[in-house]
Amino acid sequence: MGISRRDFVRTTTAAGALVVSSGLPSRVFAAGQKTVKVGMNIPMTGDYAPWGLPGLYGCQIIADDINAAGGVNIGDDNYAIEIVSYDHAYDLEKAVQGYKKMVSEDDVKMVMMLGGSTVGAIAKWAERKKMLTTTLLCSDITPDTPNLIATCESHPLYNVTGVEWLAKHHPEVKTAAIVTNNDAEYGLQSTATYQAAFEVAGIEVVDVNLHGFDVTDFAPIVSSVLAKKPDVFCMATSFYVTPLMEQLYHQGFKGKIISCTLDYYDEIIAKTSKEFVEGTIFQFPDFDDPKLNESGINFPNPGDFDAKFRKSHPNDWSAVAWEYPAILLNWIEGAKQAGTVEPQAVSATLRSNKNPAFIFGGGKWWGKDLWGQDNVVVGRWPVVVVKDGKARIQEYGSVSGWLDKHAGVLTKYMKSHGLRTV
Amino acid sequence: MELFLLSIVNGLIQGGFFALFAVGLVLIFGVMGVVNFAHGELVMVGAFTIWLLHAQYGLSYIPAIMVAIVLVTVIGLLMERFLFRPTRADPLAGLICSIGVLFILQVVATLIGGDGPSKQVPPPYQGTLVLFEFLRIPYQRVFSLIISVSALGSLWFFLTRSKFGWALRAVAQDREAAALQGINTNRISIIAIGVGAALAGLAGGLVAPLTNINPHMGHNVIITAFIVTIVGGVGSLSGAVLAAVLYAMFHTFMTVYFGGTVATICGLILMVVVLIVKPTGLMGVRISE
Repeated sequence: MGISRRDFVRTTTAAGALVVSSGLPSRVFAAGQKTVKVGMNIPMTGDYAPWGLPGLYGCQIIADDINAAGGVNIGDDNYAIEIVSYDHAYDLEKAVQGYKKMVSEDDVKMVMMLGGSTVGAIAKWAERKKMLTTTLLCSDITPDTPNLIATCESHPLYNVTGVEWLAKHHPEVKTAAIVTNNDAEYGLQSTATYQAAFEVAGIEVVDVNLHGFDVTDFAPIVSSVLAKKPDVFCMATSFYVTPLMEQLYHQGFKGKIISCTLDYYDEIIAKTSKEFVEGTIFQFPDFDDPKLNESGINFPNPGDFDAKFRKSHPNDWSAVAWEYPAILLNWIEGAKQAGTVEPQAVSATLRSNKNPAFIFGGGKWWGKDLWGQDNVVVGRWPVVVVKDGKARIQEYGSVSGWLDKHAGVLTKYMKSHGLRTV
Repeated sequence: MELFLLSIVNGLIQGGFFALFAVGLVLIFGVMGVVNFAHGELVMVGAFTIWLLHAQYGLSYIPAIMVAIVLVTVIGLLMERFLFRPTRADPLAGLICSIGVLFILQVVATLIGGDGPSKQVPPPYQGTLVLFEFLRIPYQRVFSLIISVSALGSLWFFLTRSKFGWALRAVAQDREAAALQGINTNRISIIAIGVGAALAGLAGGLVAPLTNINPHMGHNVIITAFIVTIVGGVGSLSGAVLAAVLYAMFHTFMTVYFGGTVATICGLILMVVVLIVKPTGLMGVRISE
């Protein structure tokens, strides 16, 4: 058996690189190149790890690509990107420690966080330091946090697009039941959003079933909800999607399923069946989706990114795998435009842009009516449906368009759950 | 009526799980006087073993359960020999040691399983037993119920019909008196923690295909086990089994008719009420000073 020239070149190049790199530090920067550090103060262990760790993997891929291509030019300097991570395990004290370490010792220029109470814990100190911080939960934003922005995921506002699509393509559905965990950060925010979306879509919500994080058996919950005979079963957060789907399958549910996320849907298929999961609607695409190659998508080579991620971390893809990278890319663009990496300048530049480069396009700043600051970028968001065992984008809905018309309905439900609004 | 019947079935299945791990906790406490805070983590190790061997390496489910039982039993025996026995004179020391084991097992599980998402185990017994259109039970849950009942029945037989079982109950009642009768209390302690840990390993193996598996899943287990143990009567094995079934029924019906949040709160209130009104629990015995 012969060896092709291409194989020979590839093999010898790889071997040569290995030999050379073995005698060098793990990362080699060009002469004169500066390094800018970006922080990720996220949960990498514990229950919230799926919403942190995959994002770190994704950011590392982006940073490695940028650095391999020679870095990024910001102002008169060329920078390599270094990701500094800290695992706060969704513990408030650790979140504060990690944040202070990143800002005071590591000299990061931006800190990415998941959101929720961990962001609340660092918010005052972060504002004193005027540090640019990002969150995935736009409800973290308050009138007192001008340096806290949400430039990618606007949890849970995007859920309105899935309900809109459902009502348009399945006009036969008249009733829905919502199931979720009862925390104010994730569950209730998402529940209020779904309730508003269903009301706008003309779908009656016949049950809102809230449960704690201590549930070990979802059979009674699903039995209770199915007794109300909803046309749609809605899972407002992702913590327990798999056991809920499993129970729906075994208890013979035949209606439509809509979920905020459907992370690891291949595992759900393995636990139920391909036919059962078929048609499930959710909001987070795989990045090998052909629709991400259309114009208007602000993410370079989504397919390549997806392939690299799944090769290096085959079992870790989740909704946040591309979200933190999207935030990182957004920050880099802001720094380029500002001509500096200094947090205040980048923050001001990003927020002064009337048409921010949102990952799925159509972005605009929003949030003042609900949280007191226009620090959330909302735009188009994909509606994803499982087709033939694969998540595929059906269309892009407009979160900003929905909010322009129905923000009042959303505010009503937020208030009904006692959630903070201005 | 349909929902009522379905809830009874769900309650029975849940009761089987609760009984498996609560009985182990009671057994260890009764014989050794140690509140084993790491008992939930023993269940977690059982579940993790199934994920690793069955879901990742393709070992058949039943042999994987056997390995899980053996592994968790060995961990229990090591705890007895190197932690609980040297600290026998001080129950608080044993409790603190068990908390240490709890964290160690969580870290080891994280190192082996990796960080990130909860682990999932595809159910080895696919499909659903359809008794009526409204009464559909996954075969995996049927299997779990049968094994739970069989294991508890075997334990009852062991405790009431075997020489070791009698000795074990004697040590649980009065360690010194049992020793004076010539019973080797060290050996009985080993048997107690071995049996308790084995049941925890079995519970983990059974629950693995039905839940999210992660290094912290033991928290919920230990809280439930404490509620069941207190309601049943601390130290009472039959009380633990009875309380497990009753608490599972209570929790299931509360969840169905009032929601999961209310069910959790009411479960904890129930425990507090029992502690105040009947501190000995359903079947515990008051011991005079």
